[in-house]
Amino acid sequence: MSARTSEPVLRHKRQRLAARWANTMTQILLIEDDAETADVIVSELTERGFEVRWAPDGIGGLDCARESSPDALIVDRMLPGMDGLTVIEALRKDQVRTPVLVLSALGAVDDRVRGLRAGGDDYLTKPFALIELVARVEALLRRPTDSRETTLHAGPLELDLIERTARRGEREIDLLPREFRLLEYMMRRSDQLLTRAMLLEEVWNYKFVPATTNLIDVHMGRLRHKVDGPGETQLIHNVRGSGFVLRVR
Amino acid sequence: MRQVEFIRSNTFLWAAAAAAALALFVAGLFAFIYWKIDDYLVVRSDRMIATQLNFMAELPPGRLNDAIYDHLKQDSRGVQYAGLFDAAGTRLAGNIERLPPHLDLGGRVRSVRLAQVGSSAVRDAVVKAGARRLSNGHILVLGRNVDETGEISSVVGQALVLGLLPAFCLCLLAGAWLSVRAQRRVEQVNETVQRIVAGDLRERLPKSNADDPFARLATIVNGMLDEMETTINALAGVGNDIAHDLRTPLTRVRLALERGRTHAATLEDLQDIVEKAMVGIDQSLAIVTALLRLAEIESSSRKAGFGDVALDEILRQVCDVYEPIAEDKDIEIDVEIDRKVQVRGDRDLLFEAIANLVDNAVKFTPAGGTVTLELVSDDRAVLVRVSDTGPGIGEWEREAVLRRFYRSDKMRNTPGVGLGLSLVAAIVKLHGFCLTICPAPGGRVEIFAEKGEAPREATASETGRVLHASLASM
Repeated sequence: MSARTSEPVLRHKRQRLAARWANTMTQILLIEDDAETADVIVSELTERGFEVRWAPDGIGGLDCARESSPDALIVDRMLPGMDGLTVIEALRKDQVRTPVLVLSALGAVDDRVRGLRAGGDDYLTKPFALIELVARVEALLRRPTDSRETTLHAGPLELDLIERTARRGEREIDLLPREFRLLEYMMRRSDQLLTRAMLLEEVWNYKFVPATTNLIDVHMGRLRHKVDGPGETQLIHNVRGSGFVLRVR
Repeated sequence: MRQVEFIRSNTFLWAAAAAAALALFVAGLFAFIYWKIDDYLVVRSDRMIATQLNFMAELPPGRLNDAIYDHLKQDSRGVQYAGLFDAAGTRLAGNIERLPPHLDLGGRVRSVRLAQVGSSAVRDAVVKAGARRLSNGHILVLGRNVDETGEISSVVGQALVLGLLPAFCLCLLAGAWLSVRAQRRVEQVNETVQRIVAGDLRERLPKSNADDPFARLATIVNGMLDEMETTINALAGVGNDIAHDLRTPLTRVRLALERGRTHAATLEDLQDIVEKAMVGIDQSLAIVTALLRLAEIESSSRKAGFGDVALDEILRQVCDVYEPIAEDKDIEIDVEIDRKVQVRGDRDLLFEAIANLVDNAVKFTPAGGTVTLELVSDDRAVLVRVSDTGPGIGEWEREAVLRRFYRSDKMRNTPGVGLGLSLVAAIVKLHGFCLTICPAPGGRVEIFAEKGEAPREATASETGRVLHASLASM
């Protein structure tokens, strides 16, 4: 079975807008066996300006990935024919380094899946929010700023990774170590939506769902209070219901 | 078919084997008795023959003929032999036809073939006999037919048949009875088990007062069934709880959507309702997710990913994560670590467990209070203690809080799924640690880990590595 471009989306009105960018558009390959889930994901990503191809099974997906070399892959863990992780392993064997987001049903989060994060890939457990998926795909596509740099810049913000100091323009910002880590992560991924789960995973390096749901908001409130002083342009924005953005453009 | 089964049944075969062994033993015993009695009788008759021979030899020759006559006359069974011969071997008196050849004349008793006077037997009987030469040259022969042993053997044989046959039959009968009884009990158990399999969990194996292995087995199986019934009922209860907890948000979603469909006039109205519906669905999903996670943890599949985990590190990071929220509530978080400790485990899960405890502590401690995280260890054990100045958990609630979905009445309205502490309990159990909820006042929950398992103090190089790792992750 060969992959096909997503038919349902063609009818969508946003498609006209996206079509104009067809040549420069980022290509994403979605390998997912549930047609309804795939349809929603394809619609959402297409609206956000990605070109999405959909393959409903592992073998077709692998063929499609080999011939079209997409910029990113979204792969379901459980697939008919060929397991999602096997598809990724096959690609890696061909020296294809395309970043992958694995969608995993709960209970199947084993070490192989968890190992993905170490390899620069990511995984998301079902059920997930669409916005979470988009944020993670964007994070995968935009490789963070070179980690060898010792000073980070984002708009008026400057972070000295050696001295562990932060400044906004001329103003020195006094940060606690955890606030420093949080700001560093946001500056590396400025103008990008960062969900609460991503922040918790990346800043504290633990994958867990806190019982107190506004845990990250409280941290972010503290950081925003320090970063956005009175009378200054707001840099840290709360995106309702999904996460935060450090907006510098 | 049934008969074959019965004959081939183990109990019956054993009974038959026992009966055969008994028969062999009894036959052996009887043979021994026969042999002993025979021996005794022969010895006794030999002695008698010798005595009589000596006695008669001393008699004056005139009375000897009468003595022989009397001797033979007294013998009603015809087993006695006596004969007097002259030196030439001619019979003078007695019932012995002729003087047997090779006769020892010294008086020793030996087995000799003797012919009886007037006997019509084809062969002469073998008798025990002794002979003496008298002072006048005559030869006196006295003998006794000891073929009585044949009689004895027939008596013994009869006794054997009379005693052994009933015994053997009795054995087989007992075996058959035991076999039938065992089979009947197995059949009973089978029927009961079939009923239990069919779903009647209250069914129990029949009890008997006898202290036999079967009764003990029944007691053991009944105990197991009690345990299973409790567990299954508890599971069913959990199922009801889940259904209830899922229904509440789903009902809200349904109602909101239904009202929205008929009443929403503007796009904003509709978006508002969809927003509400999504909150309800997220809540339901959170419950399902938490349950699946619980199941995943309880299935121990994560044990494969265990590694060395620096507990002090985790405690500091939990504090790091919860400090701002505690500060907002005007609660102080203290971390007290007496030394670095490593345990074997899953770092994400251990973090989650301790974070859950701290989350709870912060949630239930009133403003101005303190939450304390302690790590106490010695050479043998590690103790993680999360204590707070809140109301604590009452005696009657201590068991209940570990149950899934348990939410104390006073916190019905605080957000949360109600799986927090059961998740902690599952994680602690997965690691083989021990969870203790200490009595109120003041909340205090302890996780106790034996060092035998793997927990050990971090060596200098390991500490260095851990520190290095934490710097790298910054």
